[in-house]
Amino acid sequence: MKSVLVALSAGVALVLTACGGSPTGGNPSTGGPGVPTPPAASLTGAGATFPKPYYDAANFAYNKKFSQVNINYGGGGSGAGISQLTKKTVDYGASDVPLSAKEAAAMGGSDKVIQIASTLGTVSLAYNLDSVADGHLKLTPDTIAGIFLGRITKWNDAALAADNSGVSLPNQDIHVIHRSDGSGTSYIFTDYLSSVSPDWKAKTGGPGKSITWPTGDGAQGNAGVATRITQTPGAIGYVELAYVLQTKMKQAALKNRDGNYVIPSAAGATAAATAFIGSSPSQFSIVNASGKDSAPISGYSWIILYKDQADKTKGTALVDYLYWLTTAEGQSYAITLHYAALPSSMASYDLLALKDVTSGGSALLSVS
Amino acid sequence: MSKGSGDRIFRAIAYSAAALILLIAVVFVIALFIPALPAITKFGLGFFVSRTWDPVRIQFGALPAIYGTLVTSAIGLLIAFPIGLGAALFLAEDARLRFLRGPLSFAIELLAGIPSVVIGLWAFFVLTPLMRDSVDPFLKHTLGFLPFFQGSASGYGFLTAGVVLAIMVLPIMIALSRDVIRAVPRSLREASLALGATNAETIWSVILPYARVGITGAVLLSLGRALGETIAVTMVIGNRPQITSSLFASGYTLPSVIANEFTEAVGDVYLGALFYLGVVLVLITIAVNVIARLLVWRFTRGETVSA
Amino acid sequence: MSLPLIRTLVDRLVAGLIVLCVSVAAVPVLVLFLFVLINGLPGMLTPGFFTDPPHPQGVPGGGVLNAIIGTLEIVGIGSLLAVPVGALIGIFLSEYGRNQIGNTVRFISDVFTGLPSIAFGIFGYTVVVLTTHHFSALSASVALAVLMLPVILRATETALVLVPNSLREAGLALGAPRWRVTLEIVVPAALGGIVTGALLAMARAAGETAPLLFTAFGNDIVQTNPLQPMGALSLTIFRNALVPYPNLQQQAWAAALLLVTLVAATNILARIYVRRIQR
Repeated sequence: MKSVLVALSAGVALVLTACGGSPTGGNPSTGGPGVPTPPAASLTGAGATFPKPYYDAANFAYNKKFSQVNINYGGGGSGAGISQLTKKTVDYGASDVPLSAKEAAAMGGSDKVIQIASTLGTVSLAYNLDSVADGHLKLTPDTIAGIFLGRITKWNDAALAADNSGVSLPNQDIHVIHRSDGSGTSYIFTDYLSSVSPDWKAKTGGPGKSITWPTGDGAQGNAGVATRITQTPGAIGYVELAYVLQTKMKQAALKNRDGNYVIPSAAGATAAATAFIGSSPSQFSIVNASGKDSAPISGYSWIILYKDQADKTKGTALVDYLYWLTTAEGQSYAITLHYAALPSSMASYDLLALKDVTSGGSALLSVS
Repeated sequence: MSKGSGDRIFRAIAYSAAALILLIAVVFVIALFIPALPAITKFGLGFFVSRTWDPVRIQFGALPAIYGTLVTSAIGLLIAFPIGLGAALFLAEDARLRFLRGPLSFAIELLAGIPSVVIGLWAFFVLTPLMRDSVDPFLKHTLGFLPFFQGSASGYGFLTAGVVLAIMVLPIMIALSRDVIRAVPRSLREASLALGATNAETIWSVILPYARVGITGAVLLSLGRALGETIAVTMVIGNRPQITSSLFASGYTLPSVIANEFTEAVGDVYLGALFYLGVVLVLITIAVNVIARLLVWRFTRGETVSA
Repeated sequence: MSLPLIRTLVDRLVAGLIVLCVSVAAVPVLVLFLFVLINGLPGMLTPGFFTDPPHPQGVPGGGVLNAIIGTLEIVGIGSLLAVPVGALIGIFLSEYGRNQIGNTVRFISDVFTGLPSIAFGIFGYTVVVLTTHHFSALSASVALAVLMLPVILRATETALVLVPNSLREAGLALGAPRWRVTLEIVVPAALGGIVTGALLAMARAAGETAPLLFTAFGNDIVQTNPLQPMGALSLTIFRNALVPYPNLQQQAWAAALLLVTLVAATNILARIYVRRIQR
């Protein structure tokens, strides 16, 4: 038996050494002009599902470009991004809402963290109704609040019918689908509801990543909400535009602040962002924007990391990657997936922020 | 090396292995209990009666999740108990169709081995539409006067989760009841048959009364499994912390709250509340399992139970 | 002897009900297997399913290589941790465990058997992830090892207890010390039972999802370093099922078919082994 044990422990050692080597093979490739070549590293991130399709595509491309860097983005919701970064179980967190003062304090204070905007997107209201074609359902701030407060429970409710003449709304129950996880998409959506409906604000306590919903079912992640909507006749829910377009769900036209009905689009998100000058982690809300084309439920998505990186190699790989994400090349993957490119002012803000990231006192990003 | 010292070393190794599991148990308790403390001190026993689950206002109560766990498990057992008992009687008793026993036992073992995520996948894509379009409307139509079968049905919720749990506990229910029924002394049933009782009468008045305690144990062990089932239930329960009489409505269970919210909980109290739910879940399942094992063990007299 | 009609009828009715129960119990098994097979096969036959990691939405192709490697490695390391320890505790129980300590160990093991699988995930998270500050395959292996332990130790004890005492006495009579008798006579005689227990435990561990959610975390990249986050078949099924893309849902079904095959094969292997030994 002893010999068996020795053999077993040798086996453990063998497996551990066999697996413990370099995570990647091949020689490091070099970047194009202006893009730094990162050192070999495995990075783990968690958080927002709003930009996940974009991150997945970009990470895949970055790994093709620099095979020495593996980035594992696990999603999990914005709440997970912040919570796991606080516990330092991930290398970076992603959230559609910048840190609150309390959350920043839990990370050691707002001067200990860097927050950069990675993309700009917009939230759609997707529905599952056979009789109403894509884009033909018109929703106003009042009817959206009514539905999510549980006051409008039938599709042929008088309030909905009033805005939708010519559309045959069925006598069917409305199944509201919301997020069950702590979600930046929820934050953006409830931020919008709180700004257009005092009732909503009073009833739920204002915007939040996890809130107590007056009605409806919870589903995990943007993808989970999208799946539940496609599975349930009569369902309505809020999801990031990319999920709507990729799954060919139907989405509603939303009445914006200027009184126009707009179909959420990347251009609508850009228009909303332009209505707010000088957005930053402390001035991040761009919901209910003015402007005739503005998509009313838009928002930036953020990546959060510690200013002082304990591991210099990992830290360098991380800032190199994040910088690439904000360049035209990185942003091109966002545009393909119907997110809006970062406004140039925001990209410059990101570059300045990333230059502040240090390890052992020296800056990690070598970009002029 | 003398003969005695070898024995002493071996003994020491064996004892330290035994000590290791005790250590793991202690660490387990600490790992679950300590992080729960912020919530335990803040909410105390009020946690068990509060219906609020509000991360914005940092107010948490376990009642909706406890309710969901109990209701779904009860539905699961209500369905699985008669079916499981019948199937167990067939496997242990029925002399007819004997050739079916082998394949049937095998099928049930296979069902027991199907990972819960696969059952969840099937339930998510196959069972929920079936419940929404056929079963729920039928129940609404025939039993709609009862408060359990009212309201709008999306296919997700207590009833669907209960059906999923029934499928998941059936193998345990059948295997344990079968063992218990087989442990009824042959002489008893032969005496009954010799006295002229029919098979059905023998089952009703001899076997079931004799096996009652053991079958109760089997039901409790199934209950233990149902209470703690996580993934398959999470996929169909609807994830809404509410208490309502309608079984069509969405709910939440202790394990599914933890599975959904554990990685994202920000702040000691929110995370603590999830650990607190974990403590509640673990205590309930331990209590149920201990009672069940005592009953089954007393009945089969110490033969190891394989579930 | 003729029975009153009513008694015969009741007897028939009960027999009929019992057969009905059996059919109702068998239906879910058949339906489940059929669905998994029909929905899983097309995805499994897609080129790259076994050889590629997942691709992001929009990039064609992609497979579950990350998850196959992950499941094998996580369960493998878990077994390396659990099998020796579990077997040793089993030896302790059968050879030295007829006392209060033995009963306590048995009780704890039974309690662990009944714990919800998500509790093991919480354990792995607090004990390994929070202390190492990293999600990792290792933390998942630790969680699964604790989950496997009771199965292995009980199987070992049962197998050892079944070894006839005459064997032990013969060894001792030849003058061998007790530890050599145990290791060289008793354990080999019971090896079949121990291996079966280990295989059953591995089958159960391979199918688990809840203990992996907060430990292995998932990884779309093929990762073999146990200190890094790692994918697993069960995680692929869970995550892809909840995603609205048909190609990923197809992948979930295919992964389910693969996982069910893997688990069933391990279970059947264990049973064949038992039968061979019992002969």
